[in-house]
Amino acid sequence: MPFLWILIALIIIASVAFVLGRQRAVQSAGGDSRKLHSLPGFYGWNTAIGAMVPSIAILAGWMIAQPIIVNMSIAPMITSVEASDSATLGLVLSNVTNVSEGLDAAIAAGAITDNEVAALNAETDNIKGLLSQVGKVVGSDITPEILDAARASRNMNATGTLFKTIVVLAAAIAGGAFALTKIRPDLWARNQVESFVRYVLITAASIAILTTIGIVLSLIFNTVKFFGMYSATDFFFGLNWLPRFQGESDLGILPLMWGTVYISIIALLVAVPIGLFAAIYLSEYASKGVRAVAKPALEVLAGIPTIVYGLFALLTVGPLLKSAFGDGGVLGVQWMGSADAAMTAGLVMGIMLIPFVSSLSDDIINAVPQAMRDGSYGLGATKSETIKQVVLPAALPGIVGAVLLAASRAIGETMIVVLGAGAAAQLSLNPFDAMTTVTTRIVAQLTGDTDFASATALVAFALGMTLFVVTLGLNILALYIVRKYREQYE
Amino acid sequence: MNDMRLIDRAVDMKDIKFSARNVQVYYGTTHAIKDVNVDIADKTVTAFIGPSGCGKSTFLRSLNRMNDTIDICRVEGDILLDGEDIYDKRVDPVQLRAKVGMVFQKPNPFPKSIYDNIAYGPRIHGLAKNKTDLDEIVESSLKRAALWNEVKDRLDAPGTGLSGGQQQRLCIARAVATQPEVLLMDEPCSALDPIATAQVEELIDELRSNFSVVIVTHSMQQAARVSQKTAFFHLGNLVEYGETGQIFTNPVDPRTESYISGRIG
Repeated sequence: MPFLWILIALIIIASVAFVLGRQRAVQSAGGDSRKLHSLPGFYGWNTAIGAMVPSIAILAGWMIAQPIIVNMSIAPMITSVEASDSATLGLVLSNVTNVSEGLDAAIAAGAITDNEVAALNAETDNIKGLLSQVGKVVGSDITPEILDAARASRNMNATGTLFKTIVVLAAAIAGGAFALTKIRPDLWARNQVESFVRYVLITAASIAILTTIGIVLSLIFNTVKFFGMYSATDFFFGLNWLPRFQGESDLGILPLMWGTVYISIIALLVAVPIGLFAAIYLSEYASKGVRAVAKPALEVLAGIPTIVYGLFALLTVGPLLKSAFGDGGVLGVQWMGSADAAMTAGLVMGIMLIPFVSSLSDDIINAVPQAMRDGSYGLGATKSETIKQVVLPAALPGIVGAVLLAASRAIGETMIVVLGAGAAAQLSLNPFDAMTTVTTRIVAQLTGDTDFASATALVAFALGMTLFVVTLGLNILALYIVRKYREQYE
Repeated sequence: MNDMRLIDRAVDMKDIKFSARNVQVYYGTTHAIKDVNVDIADKTVTAFIGPSGCGKSTFLRSLNRMNDTIDICRVEGDILLDGEDIYDKRVDPVQLRAKVGMVFQKPNPFPKSIYDNIAYGPRIHGLAKNKTDLDEIVESSLKRAALWNEVKDRLDAPGTGLSGGQQQRLCIARAVATQPEVLLMDEPCSALDPIATAQVEELIDELRSNFSVVIVTHSMQQAARVSQKTAFFHLGNLVEYGETGQIFTNPVDPRTESYISGRIG
């Protein structure tokens, strides 16, 4: 039975379990549901959970285990490969899986019957052609050995799926029946259902955390591989970034870090004052009408894809800056060689970050109780004194959090830098020089034909890991600051 | 003879701090205060009593123009402080509030240290010439609010960390530190326990020697204990105003009598 049907059957069993559980609960109380510990619905839910949870657990375990077991048992059939050569064996086995799935698809599409599959001859029949008809492309040649293994794998899978269906449905019915027998008026059904809900919530939370750990692990694996080929000292302290795919690259992170930090600082210098002042105006001075229009308008800015900001940097801000600071510009200085510069990217990124800072700060400032303001006005303070000395200090932890969030965004931003800052990795103090950042180099190293065995490609993972650690450190710092101020202000 | 009478009258005139004539307050279309006429004497505790929603807090807030911070609020009529109309265009509400301080129902210390809470007013009004001056103001204000002994060793601790009663006394000390002429108190004891209430009441009685104190209260016992003059508000009207003793023992208006004896409220 296909997976979807099993699920539907499970849901039906659970629904029946719910109804039965509810009925039985009411019956057990002699028809007076007030004698029950919990509402009748909770007994129903309890029974349904009893039916669903073990069966779904078995289903999930089975679906993970079956392919592993099948592969293990057909591996001895592959005699052409040494058992110790696990990489090649893995490739052949994945071919086998492909062929067997292709045959399944061909049968489902009516291109071939079960009996014909048994009669297929790998030497004479065009199996590849047959499989490609149903959209399954097999890379290497199909040898008799592979075809045999595929047939065996099909048989085993068919048996496995049949048993899976039986076992899972039996588990569902048994679980539901067991839960049903436990129903008594003094069963704490509500507490059981609620603790089940709590476990569901815990699972959801752990998935988020486990994914993060998974991301880090996948980075670490390749990072370690990279440091096996390239010296860590050269990576962290190298002043040159010159990747060459033919080898002999200089892969120093410092010019990239410098560009990242420089551009982020320019962006924050633009975004923090403007965003904060906008937030103060919106929350303290603006009339209701202005606020109703201006706040959504600012927030619209946050919805613009960053690539559009990148175009703005490329087409408008860059040339504009060049016409002022570049060769033959209005100011008569020659600070700017090309339109691509740290300043271009930084300015545009700052504009992008304004709504983040302003919207978050505005919410935080609004959350400062009116009683604080009243207290200050009551002492004869003006509006600006009140804002400066009472409202902003009270809102400070939140504002620091907003700024650090903006900083994280700035460090991770890619598209604006690609289009605005150029690609030259250099350690320059001049904000009108082209610079590049860690993120854009990660993209550059991994796009196109990449050889994952070379240091020039693997460096991307080391860069990503470094970026991850830096932003993590920034967030920890943010938490620390927020907590420190919170102690002081609450 | 005549001279004597003139001097008498001059003293009388000087004694009146606030003088309200035909005051109307509107919240949008709601007529919250109707035709209130009242003279509030200097160096006296005046209590405003009345059932909830009768407008006593609204009237109190119009005495230092705190109602200005509410958009839909509108005040008509004359309120004179020392003979000058506080709603005159030339009057800066900020300067007015420095003269007419306010203590709120809920303690609202700033999220700053105890010291900075007290120093807030003196700093923004430039009352202290130097740090020593400021220290002195802080100390004397805390002493007047009967809080000094409890906090003198932890002036750098946040004001928000004090107990409810201490916070309210901190707010009173903060208002006193600005050296106002009038102190408005909007139910200052409603969030306090009886012990803290007794301390605050004692404090109010002491403050009378320097300021005119106007206190809004729901507790008639409190009004009777701390005030010399009492005004009874009902449904936006000032029903009766007079000596506290007279209001509580021998009210003229039947509504006052009903409220005091607990029949309306």
